[in-house]
Amino acid sequence: MTAKVLVLSGYGLNCEEETLFAFQHAGMKGVIRHINDLIENPKELEDIQILAIPGGFSYGDDTGSGNAFAQKMKLSLWEHLTKFVERDTLTIGICNGCQILTNLGLVPALNGRYGERPVALTYNLTARYQCRWVDVKVGSSKSPWLAGVNTLHIPVAHGEGRFMMSPETLAAIQNQVAFRYIKPSLLSSRTPQAEGSHNNRGDSSASPRNDTLELAKGQFPFNPNGATDDIAAITDHSGRVLAMMPHPERGMFTWQRDDYDRLKDHALREGKTLPAEADGMALFKNAAAYFEVAKRKSA
Amino acid sequence: MPRIEILSHEDDGRARQIEQALGRRGKTAAVRVVDVYTSENPKAQSPEFIDSLTNPVTQKAGTSYDQFDWALEIGYLPGVTDNIGHTASELLALTTHCIPRENGDLDATSKDPRFRGEDSAGVYSSRLYLIKGKLNRGDVEALGHELSNKLIQRATIKSRDEFVKDGGMSVVIPKVTLGNKGAVADNVDLNVSDEELKTIGAQGIKNPDGSRRGPLGMSLLYMQAVRDYFKKEGRPAKDIELETLAQTWSEHCKHTIFASPIDDIKEGIYRHYIKRATQEIRKKRGKNDICVSVFSDNAGGIIFDDEYLITDKVETHNSPSALDPFGGAITGIVGVNRDCVGFGRGAKPVINRYGFCLADPRTKPEYYRDKAKANPILSPETIMNGVVRGVEAGGNCSGIPTPQGFVYFDDRFVGKPLVFVGTIGLIPREINGKPGHKKGAKPGDKIVMVGGRVGRDGIHGATFSSVALDEGSPATAVQIGDPITQKKFSDAIVKEIRGYDWYNAITDNGAGGLSSSVGEMGDQSGGFHVELDKVPLKYPGMAPWEIWISESQERMTLSVPPENTDKLIAFLARRGVEATVIGTYTDTGRALITWHGETVMDLDMDFLHDGLPETPLKTVYVAGGEDEPDIAQPKDYADTVLNMLSRLNICSKEFISTQYDHEVQAGSVLKPLQGPGRVYAEASVTKPVLTSSRGVVLSQGLAPRYSDIDTGAMAAAALDMAVRNAVTAGVDFNHLAILDNFCWCSSDEPERLGQLKRAAAAIYDLAVLYETPFISGKDSMFNDFKGYDAQGKEVKISAPPTLLVSSIGVIPDIEQSISLAPKMQGDLVYLLGETKDELGASEYYDMNGALGQNVPRVNGAKNLELYKLYSAVARNRLIASAMPINLGGLGVALAKKAIASQLGMEIDLSGFALRPDKLLFSESLGRILVTVAPNNQKAFEKHFGSFANQIGLITNENKLNIKNILSVEIKKLDEYYKQPLKDY
Repeated sequence: MTAKVLVLSGYGLNCEEETLFAFQHAGMKGVIRHINDLIENPKELEDIQILAIPGGFSYGDDTGSGNAFAQKMKLSLWEHLTKFVERDTLTIGICNGCQILTNLGLVPALNGRYGERPVALTYNLTARYQCRWVDVKVGSSKSPWLAGVNTLHIPVAHGEGRFMMSPETLAAIQNQVAFRYIKPSLLSSRTPQAEGSHNNRGDSSASPRNDTLELAKGQFPFNPNGATDDIAAITDHSGRVLAMMPHPERGMFTWQRDDYDRLKDHALREGKTLPAEADGMALFKNAAAYFEVAKRKSA
Repeated sequence: MPRIEILSHEDDGRARQIEQALGRRGKTAAVRVVDVYTSENPKAQSPEFIDSLTNPVTQKAGTSYDQFDWALEIGYLPGVTDNIGHTASELLALTTHCIPRENGDLDATSKDPRFRGEDSAGVYSSRLYLIKGKLNRGDVEALGHELSNKLIQRATIKSRDEFVKDGGMSVVIPKVTLGNKGAVADNVDLNVSDEELKTIGAQGIKNPDGSRRGPLGMSLLYMQAVRDYFKKEGRPAKDIELETLAQTWSEHCKHTIFASPIDDIKEGIYRHYIKRATQEIRKKRGKNDICVSVFSDNAGGIIFDDEYLITDKVETHNSPSALDPFGGAITGIVGVNRDCVGFGRGAKPVINRYGFCLADPRTKPEYYRDKAKANPILSPETIMNGVVRGVEAGGNCSGIPTPQGFVYFDDRFVGKPLVFVGTIGLIPREINGKPGHKKGAKPGDKIVMVGGRVGRDGIHGATFSSVALDEGSPATAVQIGDPITQKKFSDAIVKEIRGYDWYNAITDNGAGGLSSSVGEMGDQSGGFHVELDKVPLKYPGMAPWEIWISESQERMTLSVPPENTDKLIAFLARRGVEATVIGTYTDTGRALITWHGETVMDLDMDFLHDGLPETPLKTVYVAGGEDEPDIAQPKDYADTVLNMLSRLNICSKEFISTQYDHEVQAGSVLKPLQGPGRVYAEASVTKPVLTSSRGVVLSQGLAPRYSDIDTGAMAAAALDMAVRNAVTAGVDFNHLAILDNFCWCSSDEPERLGQLKRAAAAIYDLAVLYETPFISGKDSMFNDFKGYDAQGKEVKISAPPTLLVSSIGVIPDIEQSISLAPKMQGDLVYLLGETKDELGASEYYDMNGALGQNVPRVNGAKNLELYKLYSAVARNRLIASAMPINLGGLGVALAKKAIASQLGMEIDLSGFALRPDKLLFSESLGRILVTVAPNNQKAFEKHFGSFANQIGLITNENKLNIKNILSVEIKKLDEYYKQPLKDY
C-alpha cells in the first residue's frame, strides 16, 4: 500500500487540486476533503499517512491570515489532529496552510508542546502582496520532507508571510528552521554558462555548498516579506510537520519556472532534454520515500 | 455593549503603509493599528471569542495604550458588506455555540427561532489608527479621506484629549433599520402628461414625501410604450413592474444602441458587423471551426482540446469604479468570475485578466460633481490604487491567477475611468453524456437562489451605468465584493455539484439582480412565478421592488427539478452556502411575482423582453486629426529614448504584476514579467490542464488616442495588436478568437455614433480577413463625466472612444511558447514588417505636444501573410525571442528587449530611409521584433523571405547601441523604464 494523502479544502483554500496533483505525481494516492466533511468524519485521519493543508485565502484572511480556519480546526478537530501528528505521519502546510499550522500551534511545538502559538505570520513589510520567485536553502531541521534537499528555486505568493517571534523563541527553534531565503548569487546569474546547472534537481553536483550561499539578510526582494532571520519555513520538533510559505507545487515542473524560456532555449541549442521535474517535486518525493522506507522496514 | 480592541505590535506592515502615506505628504508619524470588533451580542464578551481574534505574538486585546496624539477610526456604514465582521461572527458562533446571522441583524425572514434572539446578533469590524506625530486635525482628516470612502465608510477622529475625556472612541453599531415595515408594492399612475412621464423615466418613481426613487433611465418613448401596455391590461402599473421593465430594457442589459437600426443598417451594428463577422468566419472554416458557444451565454466558448472548452468574457465596471474604485473593481472581477461559473452547466474560472484606463496618478486635477464644489471627484491616484487593489483582492482571494493585463493612461479618463475585467473558464465538452455548454430552464423547475443574501446594495446599478455620471449618481449603486462567499459556492458548483446533474440551468445575478437572472431563464421555459417573500434578506424592511432589482453580490440562480431541490440545498449547506427555493419556472407566458400571496407583478413575457420600441439612430462622421507637425529632430537620441521609456503608457507596471497572484493553479508558463530584467509583457501563456501540453495564450490591444484622428484606425489597431501579440507568443493562428469591448462616450450624439459605426465596420473587415471570430463582447456607451471645474464652470469630459480587443487562443505545446527576452549573445536581431511614416496620435508626437494626421493603418493582407508564416515557424522553434512592436515603436521595443535580457544590443538601422526619430518611434502596425540563434539564420531567412530584415546582434556589453544614433547603458534604460510607477 502506498501512502495516502488527504488534502483539505473549503472556506477559501484554493490550491487543493495542484497540491494533490503533486502528491499523485510522486506516486501517492489521495483525496481532496472539505473541512466540513472531515469534521463530520474525523476518523478518516486514522486511515491516512499525510495531511496537506494547501494554499489559499481561507476566510479571506479576515482576523489574520489562517486564523479563522485554524480556530475552526482547533475547536472541532483538535484531539484527532494531535493524535494524527503524534503518529508516524507527515503533515505539510503550504502558504495559507503554513499560516493555519502556525496558528494551530502544530508548529513549532517546542519540546512537543502542540497547541502553543509562539510564532506568528504577519503582514509583509512592504505591506503589499508579493508574488515572485525566490531562492531558499535548507536550515538545520532534520525533517524527512527535506532529505537530500539543498536549495530550491520556488515561488512565493502572500500578503502575510513574515515569520515573527521573540528572540527566545528564535533561539529555541534554530534546529527547526526548514528553509531560509537566500540571495540568488551564482544560482540565478544571467550568464547562460552558469545557468546550465541552475539548481535543477538531478544536477546536485553543480550546486554550491550550502554554507557558501549568502542569506538574504532581510533584503527585499530576496527576503520578500521581512521575515525574522530570513525564515521561510519551520517544522515541529519531530520534523514531520512542515509549515512553509513558498509553494513547492508551483515549482514542481521545469515548465513552471520563471526562467523556463531560457532553460528550454539553451537545452534546444545544446541538443539536451530538460528534466521534467524541478526543485519543488523533491519534497513530495521525499514524502513518498518516507513511507516506502517505513513499509520496507515493517516487511 | 461589547467593543473589543486588539492592538497590533509596533512593527505592523499595515502601520508602515500609513506611515509611508503620511511621509508622501511630508509628515513624520508613528502609527499603531487597533482591530476593533463591536457587537450587540452579550456573548461577544467571552474570553474564548476574544482569544480567537488575537494573535498572541503580534497582538494584545484590551490593553490601554496612550502613546498617541490622534485617533482615527474607520468603519463601514450601515448595510455595507463587512467581510471581517462576517468572519468574526462565525468565530463567535464557533467559540460560544450561538448562531449569529451575518452582520448582526435579526433575521426577519427566518422561520428558525434561534435566529431571533439577542444571541443572534453578529459582529461588526472597524479599524482604529493611533497616530503619534506633529499633525493637525486637517492632516488627520486628509489621511481619513485617503484611507476611506465616504460613500461606504465612516471616519471618526479624536484628539488624544478628546479620546481621554470621552473614555475612548464611541461605540458604533452600523445596523440597518428601514422604516418601511410591512412594505407593499405601490401603484404608479401612468395616465399623466408626457412631461411627467419623462420625469418618472429620468428621476424615478415619486415617493409619498415627494422625493424620487432614483433614475429608471427610460426615455419618453419607452415610458409611453409602458403606459400603453397597462392601458391595454386595464389596470395601474405597480412600482416593481416599472422597475423591472426599466432594468430589462436598459442599455446595460439590452444594448439598445448596438441593437437599434442605424442609418440604413436595419439590423443594427451588433448583428451587421460583429455577429455577421463570426457567422461568416464559422461558415468559411467549416469543420475547422473553433467556436462552440458564441454570443448566446454569459461567456463565449471555443474548443480547447478533445476534452475541454475554454470560455472567455470581458466586462467593464466603469461607473461604480469612479465612485468607489476598490468596490467597483472587486465586484467587477468577482462578477465576471460568475459569468464564467454561469457559462453552460458551469465553467471553472482558470485565469483572470484586467485592464485599466486612467488619468495620470501624479496629477491632482480639480473637478466637482456639483456646482457648490462640495463633492469633488476622486483623485487619479486614489482611483488607481483602488482599482488595482480591488482586482487584487477579488482575484487573489478567489484563487484565480491573474497573469495578463494592461494599464493605459490619458487624462480624459479623469472623471470616468475604464475598468476591464475578464475571466477564462474551463469546462468539459461533455458532462453526464450531455454537452457541457448547453442548458435551459424547464417548466416546473424550481427557482433556487444560491449564495449571499439580498440587501439594498447596488440598487439601480444597471440603469445608472447606462447614463453619464453626474451629481445625481446614486450612492446605493456602490457594492462591496465578498469573494469568499462566492468561492464557497463556486467551488461547490464547478468542482462538485456540476457532476451530479441536479440542475437544468444556471446563470449569475449581475446587473438587475433577480429581475435579470430569473427573467432571462424564464425566457427559456416560457414564464416564471417568484414568491418574493421567500428571498432571504440581509435586514428586514425592504420593499418588493428593491428585493427584485437589488444587485447584492455573490449570488447565482439555478433551475432545479423539484425532486433535486432538497439534496442540492442540503449539500450546499454542508459547504457553508445558503440556497433557497424562491419560485417556479412556468410556461404560462407570464412573469408573475407574489408577495405574501398577493400578486405584485404580472407581465406578459413577450412584452417584458421584446416590448421596447425601436429607436432608429442617425450618424454623422467627421474625420479628426491635424496637419502633420514639424518637429525638430532630437539632439540627443539617448535622452529621447529614456524619456519615451518613462512615459506612463510605456513604463513598467511591475507593481501590479507582483501583487496579483499569477502562479496559483500552478499553470503559469509565460508570465507577466519576462526575462531577468523583468519586462511587463503584452501576452501570457497558461496551462489550464496540468496533464495536457496545451496552453492558453492571452493578450489584448487598444489605442484610444488614435480615435482623435480616426476611430476606424483605432479599432483596427486594437484588433491587430490583440492578434499579433498572441501570434508573437506562439499561438496557433488557426486557433485564435477575439472579444470586443466598446467603451464609447456621448452615444446620443450623431457624431459619436458616426465614429462608432466606422470603428465597427473596420473590425468587421479585419476580423473576417484574419479569420479570428468574435466570441463575446460588451459595450459601455456613456463614459462621460459631467460636472464643474475649479472655477465652478460646467464641464463635460468624455473618455476617448475606446475599443478593447482581447484575444484568446491555444498553443499546441507550451514548449513552443516564445518569450520576449533575448536569450544569448551572438543571436541575430530581425525586424519583421514594414515601418512607415505613421506617427499620428503616437506616444512620440504626444510627448512633443502634437497630434498629427498619419495614424497607423493596418495592412491586413500583408499582416495575414506574416502571421501565418510566423505561426508555422513557431512550431519548429526557430525563434529565440520575440516582441510585438506597439506603443512607442521600434526604439522602445529595442530598449525593452535589452532590459529584459540584461545583455546588450548592437543595432544598425542605416538601411532605412525614414529620418531616425520617425524610424524609432513610428507605431506602424504588423511588426514583430525577433532574435534568432545563428545556426537558425538560414532556415529563418528562407522561411520569411522579404519580411526578414536583419538589423543587428545581441551582445554582452550591457549597452544598447544603435549605429550613429545612440548608445545607452542598460542600467540606465532599466532605471527609466521602472522608476515612474515603482512606488505605488
